[in-house]
Amino acid sequence: MLQDNHATEIAQILERYPQASKRAAVMPLLFLAQREVGFISRDAINEIAGLLDLDPTDVGSLIGYYTLFYDKPGGKYRIQICTDLPCALRGAEKFSHEVCEMLNIQVGETTEDGFFTLEEVMCLAACDRAPLFQVQGKGGIQYHENMTLESTTAFIESIREQDANE
Amino acid sequence: MSSSQVKLMIDGNTLEAPRGMLLVDAALRAGIDVPVFCYHPKMEPVGMCRMCLVEIGRPSRDRQSGEFLLDENDQPIINFGPNLETACTTRIDEGWVVYINSERALEGQKQIVEFLLTSHPLDCPVCDKGGECPLQDLTMLHGPGISRFSFHDKMNSLKRVALGELIILDRERCIQCARCIRFQEEIVDDPVIEFSNRGRSLEIVTFSEPGFDSYFSGNTTDICPVGALTTSDFRFGSRPWELNAAASICPHCPVGCNIILNTRREVKMGGSEIVKRVLPRQNEMINEIWICDKGRFAYSYAMDSERLSQPMIRVGGELEETSWDNALKVAAEGLKQSGANLLGLAGGRASNEDLYNFKQLIQGLDGVSMLNDFMAGGKQNQQIGLGPGSNLGDLGVGDAIVVIASDLLEEAPIWWLRVKQAAERGAKLIVANARFTKLEKYSAHTVRYSFGDAPETVLGMLHYVTGDSSLNKYAKVDGQEESARIIKEATNAVLFMGSEGSDSESSKRLVQACGSLLAATEHIGKANNGLIPVWLKNNTQGAWDMGLTPPEKHLAEEFRDRTALYLMACDPFGDNPEMLQELPQDAFVIVQELFHTPSVDRADVVFPAQSFIERDGTLTSGERVVQLFYPAVSPHGESLPDWKILARIGALLGVAMESTSAAGVMNRIAEDIEDYGEIHYRELMNREDQWPPVGGKQIYFGGTAYENSQGIGIRLSSRAQRGEAYEPVWKESPKKPKGEGIRIVPIVKLYDQGTTVLPSLLLAQRIGQPELVIGQEDADRLLLQNGAQVEVQWNGTAHQFPVAIDNDIPEGIVLLPRNRQLGLEMPMACNLTPVKPTSKEKGE
Ligand code: SF4
Ligand code: SF4
Ligand code: FES
Ligand code: FES
Repeated sequence: MLQDNHATEIAQILERYPQASKRAAVMPLLFLAQREVGFISRDAINEIAGLLDLDPTDVGSLIGYYTLFYDKPGGKYRIQICTDLPCALRGAEKFSHEVCEMLNIQVGETTEDGFFTLEEVMCLAACDRAPLFQVQGKGGIQYHENMTLESTTAFIESIREQDANE
Repeated sequence: MSSSQVKLMIDGNTLEAPRGMLLVDAALRAGIDVPVFCYHPKMEPVGMCRMCLVEIGRPSRDRQSGEFLLDENDQPIINFGPNLETACTTRIDEGWVVYINSERALEGQKQIVEFLLTSHPLDCPVCDKGGECPLQDLTMLHGPGISRFSFHDKMNSLKRVALGELIILDRERCIQCARCIRFQEEIVDDPVIEFSNRGRSLEIVTFSEPGFDSYFSGNTTDICPVGALTTSDFRFGSRPWELNAAASICPHCPVGCNIILNTRREVKMGGSEIVKRVLPRQNEMINEIWICDKGRFAYSYAMDSERLSQPMIRVGGELEETSWDNALKVAAEGLKQSGANLLGLAGGRASNEDLYNFKQLIQGLDGVSMLNDFMAGGKQNQQIGLGPGSNLGDLGVGDAIVVIASDLLEEAPIWWLRVKQAAERGAKLIVANARFTKLEKYSAHTVRYSFGDAPETVLGMLHYVTGDSSLNKYAKVDGQEESARIIKEATNAVLFMGSEGSDSESSKRLVQACGSLLAATEHIGKANNGLIPVWLKNNTQGAWDMGLTPPEKHLAEEFRDRTALYLMACDPFGDNPEMLQELPQDAFVIVQELFHTPSVDRADVVFPAQSFIERDGTLTSGERVVQLFYPAVSPHGESLPDWKILARIGALLGVAMESTSAAGVMNRIAEDIEDYGEIHYRELMNREDQWPPVGGKQIYFGGTAYENSQGIGIRLSSRAQRGEAYEPVWKESPKKPKGEGIRIVPIVKLYDQGTTVLPSLLLAQRIGQPELVIGQEDADRLLLQNGAQVEVQWNGTAHQFPVAIDNDIPEGIVLLPRNRQLGLEMPMACNLTPVKPTSKEKGE
């Protein structure tokens, strides 16, 4: 239950919206749920629906609409490489391929240690700095631009190290 | 031309229509089709599918004067925009020139169809919708012969997604028009289906538990423009063109929705005609183009193999099948010998013709006839019910609707829907009940009284209307004063009166109070004003009109000392097994029934009756609309219609009755019963043009609901409307029996366990097991948790149920869904004892 660990934060989120339009709190609550375990579980959907007097269908259907919400567990970090047309022209597809090889996974898969899931996504609005990816995980979402295989490898190692130290 | 009307030209035809009307509606009203998929005339336009692309030209205006600019021929200069526009989202204005069938417009429509078909499977030969499919029809009319898209890029999706156990989705066939989603959200406010994902991956999902389980879910399959949504009963069941269509009236509640029974000969059934599905039949005054799922899916009871098919007589203690002649002879003999003190008891599900003949027979034999019910109000409905010209769909701003002592969604779903919509149109809704019901969500005012206090609550309102000081003792709950003001100020007011929490005595007081309130606020004797009793059975009003009324005393007392009992369409021994003790052992019992009910077990003679799908007749709805239903299939076994069985017995006993046809009985009724003077089959068959057009050629517009060509029925006029004065009367409340203890109150659930619901296999999963609803205080006191078993004793009987805790229920009250075999017709005192789970059940 989200309420067990995040009662104050939930109360703060609900406070932001007038009672009559409390359904507006659905997005921040979904973020909260996803932050908790990296994806939004069926239980979380039901809990949020209950908090906002919505039908679970109203809550659950949003997850598919927004590409940053997940309904299934993945790695601790999701690396999302843009492979849309402009990025592809700057070699994003090849880049994605190389990163996959380096991580020893296919697009959409998660590394054995459970750290990274790699995804190919549509335009991230930074076309001139391709190849690029965004990372979703601990600490929210971060952009990594003008990447090479080397800089990516270094980034990945730094994350692994950082985690080992925690 | 009034300023609210505008003149425009569509495809060369000049027409006038109200300013601001949607172009698609204006065109169709003028007889010009615009192809649509996502637009539906009962819902807000969304412009999602782009099928309705047309060319729109608007006259140029002088910037200063606002006048039209004219060309050299003095004709307005018309500007066509660069793009085609959607007719379903565009509201018309003066001087427009519109092309729906121009080359450009047709090209646009063709391209949309081509798009829609890129991923649509070639399922037509096996698709349930094939033959009545808007996509099929519009593809034939507007589609390109070949596609420029590669077949390899087609989206493939799941072909069988059970959204619930009644509605199955084929994801490949969905064209993403959102009609189903909008219906669930906008019309019935039960958003249990939604789109998920985006673009070509858009798909319908449900996250609700249990899935797409909504009282109105079947309607989505009527308005889905493709075969994406199908009902589990009709899925792969038949091709639409093989079906015959018989007009009928739903027999499950007092709304009286107009329906069609689609039938077909079936090899599985030895070549006999069976009902394949039930669809709504349009009647904008009654059910518009909708029906609830009970009306759509409960029909299978009528074809159940357990139906009685032959007359039976008791021989040596056992029921044995016999011939009609013999059974009738035995029945006539029995009545001759034992009929000295005869009681006739009929149920409110029988038709007017049955009930009329029933009354005639019992009266002819000097017996007493009654209606197996307790709720009062039939007489007041005759006096002040809604009259001709009424239509719940007309109520809106300035009007008031009161719903008291009824959970309308469970008791009469389509009324619930129409009341909700009236409230959304601006009518002020007052919901008065002893507990929360879903209708409260749309109310301007809720009045919450204590269980059993409905009459006093209305008298309190009356106090605020009339200022009568003798009534001020009843003005004690919140909202009475405000409600009284709303009702008084309303242009029109309609009051729905139910029986929740009432017994026969308080039901009488309630209807008197309601009648007095309507009279004092002058809401009687006019169209769209008056009373609607929410009866527990579909034709209870018809029974009252035919002269049958509930027993004055408790039924048990009525049974005592009887020498003979004649039962038609009711099951008093099934409702309450205790009643067996009340009827003398040697009383002679005749039963006319559909099924082998517990009452049949007590019978000396049993006559198999025909169900509504096998015969014709009329029913009178709670709004007092008399409607005709037609036979759809041949009779089950040797069964006969109730009115005929009665006439045949009458013939043997010298009671002259109409025996030729139900229409003939109706003619007798018209001669005999003043209110029905105008009612003849011929008039009941009258039709009327209705908007929106549905079915037939217009299937893409309104859906597959049938057009009403077999009769929209006749609204009986009320006595008040005919000028008869209504004398307001009310009774003071008797002293409430003091004393502690818990009262058990029967409530209505849509899927009950009635004789005509229980055998419906389709609904089996939804009927569920009854739970005892209990408030938090009582649950805490008895240390009960949700789901715990509890033993409830009332009237000397004991039953066990799981409990469901509801914070809204006050202390001292428990609720139980109405159910057979419980003997719980009205509220009663009861005792609760928690049942200790055995150690095995505890799982230890
Ligand atoms: S299932 Fe039918 S009604 Fe619903 S969106 Fe798809 S095509 Fe439209
Ligand atoms: S609302 Fe009543 S009459 Fe209409 S379909 Fe449902 S049960 Fe039948
Ligand atoms: S296409 Fe990759 S960021 Fe725009
Ligand atoms: S956009 Fe007009 S009907 Fe769909």
